Amino acid sequence: MRWIGLGVAGLAAVGVLLNFSGIGSAPAKAYVPPEAAMPRITADQYRTIIGSVFGRAIDLGGRFEPDMRLDGLLTVGASSVSVTAAGMEQYDAMADAIAEQVVMKVANRDIMLPCEPASAAAADDACARQFLGAVGDLLYRRKLTEEELQGYVDAAASAAGTLDDFYAGVAMSLSVMLSSPDFLFRIPELEPDPDRSGGYRLDAWSKASRLSFFLWNTAPDRQLLQAAESGELNTRKGLARQVDRMMESPLLEQGVRAFFSDMLHFDKFETLSKDTTIFPELSNREMADAREQTLRTLVDQLLTRKGDYRDVFTTKETFLTPSLASIYAVPLPYDGPNGGVEPWERFEFPADDPRAGILTHISFTALHSPAGRSSPTDRGKALREIMMCQTVPPPPPDVEFSIVQDTDDPLNKTVRERLLAHSTAPSCAGCHKIMDPMGLALENFDGAGEYRLVENGVPIDTSGELDGIHFTDPVGLGEAVRNNPAVPACLVQRVAAYAFGQAPQAGQQPLIRKLQSDFARSGYRLPDLMKEIALSPEFYWAAEPSTTEPAAAKPATLTASAQ
Amino acid sequence: MKRASSRIVGRGAKGLGLGVALTLCAAQALALESRSYVVTYFAQQFSNEEQDCPGGINPDDERGQTAVILRTMGRSDAEVRSLMAGWDAGAEGKNKVNEILARRALIDGEPVNPMTHPEAVPDPGLKFVEARYAFGFDLDGREDPDDFIDPHTQQKGVDHQLFRALGCNQNFRGSWTSPSAYGEWIWVQLKDSQPAWLITLTGEDLSRDGAVTIRIERALEHLRSNLNGTPRLNMTYRADPDPRSFNEFRGEIRDGELVITEHRPLSILWNGLSAPVLNLNNTHLRMKMDQQGMDGLIAGYQPWRELYFAFSHNGIVGDRPGLWHAMKKAADAEPDPATGQNLAISASYRITAIPAFVVPADGASTTTAAR
Repeated sequence: MRWIGLGVAGLAAVGVLLNFSGIGSAPAKAYVPPEAAMPRITADQYRTIIGSVFGRAIDLGGRFEPDMRLDGLLTVGASSVSVTAAGMEQYDAMADAIAEQVVMKVANRDIMLPCEPASAAAADDACARQFLGAVGDLLYRRKLTEEELQGYVDAAASAAGTLDDFYAGVAMSLSVMLSSPDFLFRIPELEPDPDRSGGYRLDAWSKASRLSFFLWNTAPDRQLLQAAESGELNTRKGLARQVDRMMESPLLEQGVRAFFSDMLHFDKFETLSKDTTIFPELSNREMADAREQTLRTLVDQLLTRKGDYRDVFTTKETFLTPSLASIYAVPLPYDGPNGGVEPWERFEFPADDPRAGILTHISFTALHSPAGRSSPTDRGKALREIMMCQTVPPPPPDVEFSIVQDTDDPLNKTVRERLLAHSTAPSCAGCHKIMDPMGLALENFDGAGEYRLVENGVPIDTSGELDGIHFTDPVGLGEAVRNNPAVPACLVQRVAAYAFGQAPQAGQQPLIRKLQSDFARSGYRLPDLMKEIALSPEFYWAAEPSTTEPAAAKPATLTASAQ
Repeated sequence: MKRASSRIVGRGAKGLGLGVALTLCAAQALALESRSYVVTYFAQQFSNEEQDCPGGINPDDERGQTAVILRTMGRSDAEVRSLMAGWDAGAEGKNKVNEILARRALIDGEPVNPMTHPEAVPDPGLKFVEARYAFGFDLDGREDPDDFIDPHTQQKGVDHQLFRALGCNQNFRGSWTSPSAYGEWIWVQLKDSQPAWLITLTGEDLSRDGAVTIRIERALEHLRSNLNGTPRLNMTYRADPDPRSFNEFRGEIRDGELVITEHRPLSILWNGLSAPVLNLNNTHLRMKMDQQGMDGLIAGYQPWRELYFAFSHNGIVGDRPGLWHAMKKAADAEPDPATGQNLAISASYRITAIPAFVVPADGASTTTAAR
């Protein structure tokens, strides 16, 4: 018996929103599963799925609604957003564009359609069924029900009859499929858990989906769907076999990249703008490279070498292009034609270099700076919130920022001096105390992430403090962050939230604590953490499905940026 | 202000990640340090002022030049007025003038291309600069009547006959703060179409005055620019191993200014848009140094025929055969033993550079330099 969870009937494509976040009041001793999240697939996931099902040459031809960041992650926000009318129009347009390219283009359909109709000018149910059934399973991440499949075949036949075109009919059904909530949302299907009396778990298809989106950031492949269909995924050995396979797959890197892109707020690069008069060296290309640099570093440290997560804050090793190297003021020759695509090279900053760890990457220092200057406050806030899972309250509504922003202030030439002057207001001082001492240690890096020793002719003081640990420079800050227990604990929390599609709730704390403890025992190895989550039964448990409709919808909004 | 510290040779080499075996260079063994720069501007440096062409500016438009050429070819003022009236009237008049101009250069009575045979063209007598000041150096150690005074250093006896010969042509006219149209134009053409030029200084302590070795060479890469067109700081360039572009001079940092003390010849591959090779004899150089880079002059005696080659295919310079004659008359060095004609002309060029990294192209060793 299949349990349709969470008000799917109400998902009439538009205007439906569910919010599963929120932490209960008291920590529970036993694990209490949350209600299963129903995330909207992200733009990145949409692209990846279409690419893997139909090929990467497919042009989506539309724009995605902005994702919403919640509890530090877009993935969590994706469980709390609906599709607006405008957004649905875009999804429809993309669905039409994809269907047109897949089915109506002769060159494509010769490859993608497994059969030829008896007549191109008339319906052919058998051929339509063969194609729509195969594609539907991949897009819906489960076996289509017979009713669903017959519905699509009938629709294709009807359209083919009207248009005297078999392919146009199939294209129409494919387009409808791509606009369906079953494709656009990861709808959890629940079933009673035979191992827990009265408990529920994801059915095998939803389990496959949760696993695949967590580890690969995309829909399950055919092997995983077959394991779900055969029941293998519901056995301990079968699950372990699939998890092992997925952990060995190159797609794991795609998943890890997606996680860190989300955690590190790399979506902000899409809207990041720098004053090119002040920072001419930082164009969109370098900003894209900066993002890639950090992702390559993380993949190398955490996946390829299976290193200690904490070391990403101190490592001197990274990857650079010649253009990025020029911003870091290090030599990196390019053996290629003038104007050619710059290659990536493994690079190790010298021992005496002020760069160490991802906090000194351009992807952190420039991303968390305003357009024309640096901001210790932005950087400190990002460090607290992104790396330590702490929440910094927003500034008071009447706060006066002019002192901080006046980089030409003849009396307060460095930002440290300006912040000191600004923080004399008691309403400001409290929060600045928890952000600025960390951010000021990164003041050697300007708003583009370039190294500097002075600001307005005054030597920069990079001393700072993090939770009682004092340091004198960015390298010291990296050490302090590395050794701060909140940092690996935060990663576990983020990975768990990313996996579940919602921030850990009070009832999940026993699992979170166990994960944190095991993470430490493993030497802070990310693959071990991911594997443990993927294999833990709790990952697939869910609270009893609610019978009521969601109370209110929350429109997707962009996360407000920090001051 | 950017990174201020000077860096020893080999800084960052560990991280090159190219499988390059790091070999300690001689400079490192002697505890010398190096800094490298990439040239970000290079063009003739003039110092034009109002009234420095008492005879007026040489015409820079086709019509004006044509009238001058006709006079040079022996036509009377009345004939020139009549011919130019026809020129203005339309195609028939223009054709008539062009038929005359086709015989501007004659060899054995036969017309030849005046641009490639400027010596066959009668001298149109371009006007020369008459000024007191010019940027440059006293190249010959003498104060001659036609020498200048450098407006920055106040040095007397400055030799810059190229300025005298070309400074009354509109597109060459410029000053320290306002480069000439030709200089700006040619640099924009060159910077993206020729390998960059590199300067590497090696000395015991480049933050202080003292002796240095100055290496001037060519890169394999073009000058790299930011998206807004400004040159990009701290890019890495590979030095071209071609010995035709390798130059080394003894020099000195003196009061924060880099100077060449050994005035040897300089030869570096240039560009087909200018001259294939830049050759300077008795090379002099002075460049102010700061954290942003270097800015100054390089000067010497330049074979003026090579320079004519640079001008001969660029219409922006004005009447090209006229320039040939002007430079020939103003040339002040290296007389031909047979004819006595000077083969070289004193010339000063503005040169600016910003910090860069330089590595050898062959990867055999790494001589890295930075600010």
